Amino acid sequence: MSGDKTVMKAWTRAQSRLGRRQAMPIVGLGMLSSLIAVGQAWCMAAILARVLVGAGPGAAGLLGALAVLALARGLCLTLGDIAAARAGRAARLRLRDGVLSAILRGGPALLRQQHSAELTALAVDRVEALDGFFARWIPASILWIAAPGLIAVLAAFVQPGSAAIMAACGLAVPVGQALFGIGAAVASRNQFLAMTRLQARFLDRVRGIATIVLAGRTEDEAHRLAAAADELRRRTMKILRVAFLSSASIDCAMVLALVLIALRNGGVVLGLHQGDMPPTTIADATMRGLFVLLLVPEFFVPLRGLALAYQDRAHAAGAASAMAVLPDGDTRAAGNATVQAGADGVSVAFEHVTFAWDAARGPVLDDLSFVVPAGQTLILVGASGSGKSTIIEMLLGFVVPGGGRVTIGGVDLAALAPSTLSGLVSWIGQKPVLFAGTLRENILFARPDASAEDVGHALRAAAVDTFLADLPEGLETRIGEGGFGLSGGQAQRIAIARAYLKNAPLLLLDEPTAHLDPSTEADILASLRGLARGRTVILASHSASVHEFTGQRLDLGRRHPAPVQGEHEHVG
Amino acid sequence: MSDKTEGGLAPVLRILSLWRARAPLLIVGGTLSLLAVLAGLVLMQGAGMRLAGTASGALVVGVLLLRVSGIGRVVLRYVERLVTHDAMFRALADVRVWFFRHLAGGAAAGLGFRRAGDLLSRLVSDVEALDALYLRILVPLAGACLILPFLVLAVLPVDPALAMVVGGLFVTGAFVLPLGAALLGRRQAGALTHRLAGLRIGVLDLVSGLREIRAFGAEGRVLSQVRERDARLFDAQAQQARLLAMVGGASYLCGQAAMLAVLAAALGVGFGPIPPVRAAGLLFLVVAGFEGIGGLTRAGALAGGVSRAAARVISVGGQEGPAVPVGTLPAPADTHLRFEQVGFRWRADRAPVFDGLTLDIPAGSRVAVLGPSGIGKSTLAALLLKVAAPTSGRIMLGGQDLADLDSASVRRRVAWLSQVTHLFADTIRANLLLGRPDATEAELWAALERAQIGDLVRSMPDGLDSWLGEGGTTVSGGQGRRIALARTLLSDAPILILDEPATGLDAETERDFLLTLNTVTAGRTVILIAHRLVGVERLDRIWRLSDGRANAVAA
Repeated sequence: MSGDKTVMKAWTRAQSRLGRRQAMPIVGLGMLSSLIAVGQAWCMAAILARVLVGAGPGAAGLLGALAVLALARGLCLTLGDIAAARAGRAARLRLRDGVLSAILRGGPALLRQQHSAELTALAVDRVEALDGFFARWIPASILWIAAPGLIAVLAAFVQPGSAAIMAACGLAVPVGQALFGIGAAVASRNQFLAMTRLQARFLDRVRGIATIVLAGRTEDEAHRLAAAADELRRRTMKILRVAFLSSASIDCAMVLALVLIALRNGGVVLGLHQGDMPPTTIADATMRGLFVLLLVPEFFVPLRGLALAYQDRAHAAGAASAMAVLPDGDTRAAGNATVQAGADGVSVAFEHVTFAWDAARGPVLDDLSFVVPAGQTLILVGASGSGKSTIIEMLLGFVVPGGGRVTIGGVDLAALAPSTLSGLVSWIGQKPVLFAGTLRENILFARPDASAEDVGHALRAAAVDTFLADLPEGLETRIGEGGFGLSGGQAQRIAIARAYLKNAPLLLLDEPTAHLDPSTEADILASLRGLARGRTVILASHSASVHEFTGQRLDLGRRHPAPVQGEHEHVG
Repeated sequence: MSDKTEGGLAPVLRILSLWRARAPLLIVGGTLSLLAVLAGLVLMQGAGMRLAGTASGALVVGVLLLRVSGIGRVVLRYVERLVTHDAMFRALADVRVWFFRHLAGGAAAGLGFRRAGDLLSRLVSDVEALDALYLRILVPLAGACLILPFLVLAVLPVDPALAMVVGGLFVTGAFVLPLGAALLGRRQAGALTHRLAGLRIGVLDLVSGLREIRAFGAEGRVLSQVRERDARLFDAQAQQARLLAMVGGASYLCGQAAMLAVLAAALGVGFGPIPPVRAAGLLFLVVAGFEGIGGLTRAGALAGGVSRAAARVISVGGQEGPAVPVGTLPAPADTHLRFEQVGFRWRADRAPVFDGLTLDIPAGSRVAVLGPSGIGKSTLAALLLKVAAPTSGRIMLGGQDLADLDSASVRRRVAWLSQVTHLFADTIRANLLLGRPDATEAELWAALERAQIGDLVRSMPDGLDSWLGEGGTTVSGGQGRRIALARTLLSDAPILILDEPATGLDAETERDFLLTLNTVTAGRTVILIAHRLVGVERLDRIWRLSDGRANAVAA
C-alpha cells in the first residue's frame, strides 16, 4: 500500500512538472483577471460611495472605466478557458500515446492478466478523465496562492486590518481541504474500480448476449448489472460529498470574512456619521470599506477553483495506480542479430526447452528438443493441453523459454529484435482477428505497401476471390468485430491471404481448421499446402485430415502422458 | 447505424419518460435547488440594503433575516447538490439496466454488425452524458424561471425602464444565449460523441488484436491509426472548447451589463435616479441572479451532445432480420416437432436459406442434420428458438404453431449448444448455473462428469469456484467446449440442439464424447447439427441439407 502511494506521488509529481509549461498562459491570464477584478471593485466602490454619500469622482468616467474593465475581463476569461482546453489536450495526447505504446510493448501476454475492456478503459476513459488535472488542477494549484496573495496585498494598501482578516479566513480553507482531501483520493480509486468493473462485466455480457437470452437469463443479468451500476453511484456520491463539503466550507469562510469586514467598516462609518464629519471624509471611508468588501468574493474565487479541481487531482492519483500495471520500459534486451533465410525457408530448433505456465501445475514443455530443417514441415500432434500452442507462442516471441533455447536459422531467439522476428514468421491461428475496416484494409494489414498485383495474387492464392462476388461491396465491404458476415472458412482465407502477402520463411499454423466442416477444411488445407511451398512449416492440429501434410510428426501427448487430459494448457 | 442517429427533442423526451420512476426524488432535488436559489436572492438583496443603510447612517434590514437566509443558503446548497446528484445517478443506473434489457431483446441472434466497443461506449459515456440533462440544463433552467420574475418584480416598482433592461439582459443570458449555443454546438457535439466512440473502437481493436499486431510487426501502423482517431477527437474537442469559452464570455458580459445599468440608474445616468438604498439592494440582487445562470450557456452548448447521446442510447433496441411474431400461449408438454414447407431468408435482398424444408422429429427421437458451412444449419436452430421466424410455411411444436407460443416458454423447452456459445468471465459454477439456476452441487458435478471435464475441474485449486478468464481463456479451447456442454446438459429442457458439439476435440476424445452423448441424453429429443458423422452416434433419422431442403439419408 505504501509502495503504491510512493508510485502515485512520483507519478503525480512527474506529470505536474510536464504539465506546468502549458499551464503558464492560464496562470498568467488568471493573474491578469484578478488584477482587473481589483480595478472593477475600485470603480464600483467609488460609484456606490458617490451614490450613497453624494461625493466622489465623476460618474460618467467611472461607468466607462467599469465597462472597459468588464470587456477586458470577459476576454481574459475566454482566452483562459481556451488555453486550459489546449493544455488538457496536449497532456492527454502525450499520456494516451504512452499508454498505447506500453500496451503494444506488453503484447499478448498482457491479455492474460487484464481484460481487454480494462485495458481499453485505461487508454480511453482514464486518460480522458485526466483532462481536468492538466486543464484545471495544475493552474489552480499555482493560482490559489498567487491570485489571493495579489488581492490581499493590494487590499492591504487601503485597509491593512481587513486584508489580514481576508488572509486569515483564506488560510483556513487549505487546512480544511487537506483534511477532506485524504478521503477524496481513496474514494476516487474505488470509484474508478467500480467503473472498470461495470465496463468489463458489460463487455463480457454483451459478447455472450445470445447465450444469455437463449438461456432465459436476461433478467438475472440485468439485476446484476443494476447492482454494479448502483455500486458505481454510491462510490461517486462519496467523492462528491467530499467535494460539496469542501465547497461549503469555502462558502462559510467567505461569509465569515464578509461579516467581519462589514462589521468593522460599519462601525467606522457609523462613528463618522455620529461625529458629524464632512461628507468627503465619510465618502472616502465608505469607499475604502466597500472596496475591501467587494474584493472578498474575488479573493475566494481561486480558492473555489482549487476545490473544484480537487477531484481532478484525485482522479490523477487513481489513474497513477492503474497505469502501474503496464510495463514501464522495454524489458527485452533489443538484440540486433539477423537471420539469413534461404529460398526454401529457414531452419528451426528447440534445444532442451522447458516451460511452465504455472509453476504449481508443473511444466508443459519439459526438456523438449527437435530440429526442423529449412523447407521441412513439422506436425505437432497430441491431446489438447499437451503444449502445441505453447511451442507456437514461443516461436512468435509471446513467451520465452524457462530453460534451454530456441533458434531460428541458427540464431537464438533471444538475440533477435522483435521486428526481425516478426519479419520471419507468418502465423495462422484458429480464428483470425479482423479489424474495424474494409476487407482490403484487413488484407493489407500484412503489408500496407503491397502493390495491387501482389494483393491480386494473394487473393487468388488464398481463394478469397471465390467468395468476393458474394459480398455486397467486394473488397470494400466493411467487416465488424470478430468478422460477422464472414464464415469461419472465409475469415481463415483472409488470414491465408495475409500470410501470402507477408511472404515470411517460417509458417506457424495453430489448429487452422478447428472450426471448419470437412469440405471447407479440405479446401483450406489445399490452400495451406500451396502456402507451405518453399517455407518451413510448423503445424499444430489434431484433425485427421492433416495427414495430407507430409513431414515429421512430433507426438507431444506420448512424450508427456498427462494424468488429467489438457491439464497444462491455458490457451487452446 | 450510429451514423444515422439524429439528435433532437424526441430522444430526450424518451429518456425523461424512462426516469418517471425516479420523478419524486428528481422533483425533490429540483425544489431544494429552487429554495437554495431563493435564499441566495433574499440574502444578497438584504445584505446590499443593509450595507447601503449603514453607509447612509440608517439601518433598514434586520440581522435576523440575513442570518437565516445566510445559513439557509449554505445548508440548502449542500443538501440540494447531494440530493440532485444522488437522484441523477439512480436515474442513470436505471437507464443502464434498461439499455441492457433492450439490447437483449433484439440480440438473441448475436451482435451482428454492432460492435461490442460501440455498445460499451453507449453504456458508459453516452449514459454519463445524460446527467447534464437534469443537473446542468433542467434544474438551472427551472432556477432561471424563478429568478426572472423575482428580479423583474424587484426592479419594476423602482424604475420600469430599468426593469426592462435588466429583464432583457437576463432573458438573453438565461435563454437566448444558451439556445444559440445549443444550435451552434449541435453539429460539433454530434461529431464529439461519434469520434469518442471511434477512438474506443480503435483502441479495443488494438487491444484484442495484440497477437496479430505482434505477429505482423504492425505496432507502428496500428498506433498511428489510433493516433489519427485521437487527433480527430481532439479537433472536435478544440472546436467545442472555443465555442464554450466564447459563450461563457458572452454570458459574463450580460451580467456585467445588467450591473452597469443598475449603477447608471443609481447615478441618474440614462435611467431615472433611484434611491441609494434600493439601488444597492438591486445591485447585489442582480449579481446573485446572474450568478445563478452562469452555467446555463455552457450547458446549452452541450445540449446537442446530450440529445445525441440520448438518441444513441435509445436506438439500441433495433432488431435485425425479419420480425418474430410474439406468441402468448405456453409451450405444450408434447415435444413432437414438425417443420412444414418452411421457407426462410435473412434479408429480402439475400438468397433464401430454406425453401420448402420439411422435417418430422417425434418426441424423444435422435436425429442429425448434416451439411457444409453456410447451408443453414444454425438458421435451423434460430428458427426453433424463435430468434427468427419462417417467411413461409410453419413450425409445429406439440401440434401448435410456434408463432403462437410465448418465446420464453419455447426457450425453456430447448437447450442449445452452439459453436458460438459464450463462456463468461466468471466462475465455472456461475457459468454452469446459467443453464439451470437451481441446480445442486451434485447436479453440477454430474453434468461436468458427463461432459468429461469433471477431473479437470476437480484438479483445479478452487474447483467449481475457479475463475474462467475472458471467453474462457484460462482453459484450452476443447476444455471450454466441454464446460459449455456441461451447461447445456444441466438444463432439463426436453429438446437438445447440439450444433457441432465436438468442435475443438481431438478424434479420440470426440468419439468418447459422442458415445457418452448417446447415454446421457436418453429420453430427450436430440437434434445433432454437424458437418459429418463419426459413426458412433446412435440416431433415428438423418437428413442432409441442400438447396434449402432436407433430404433423408438412411439412418
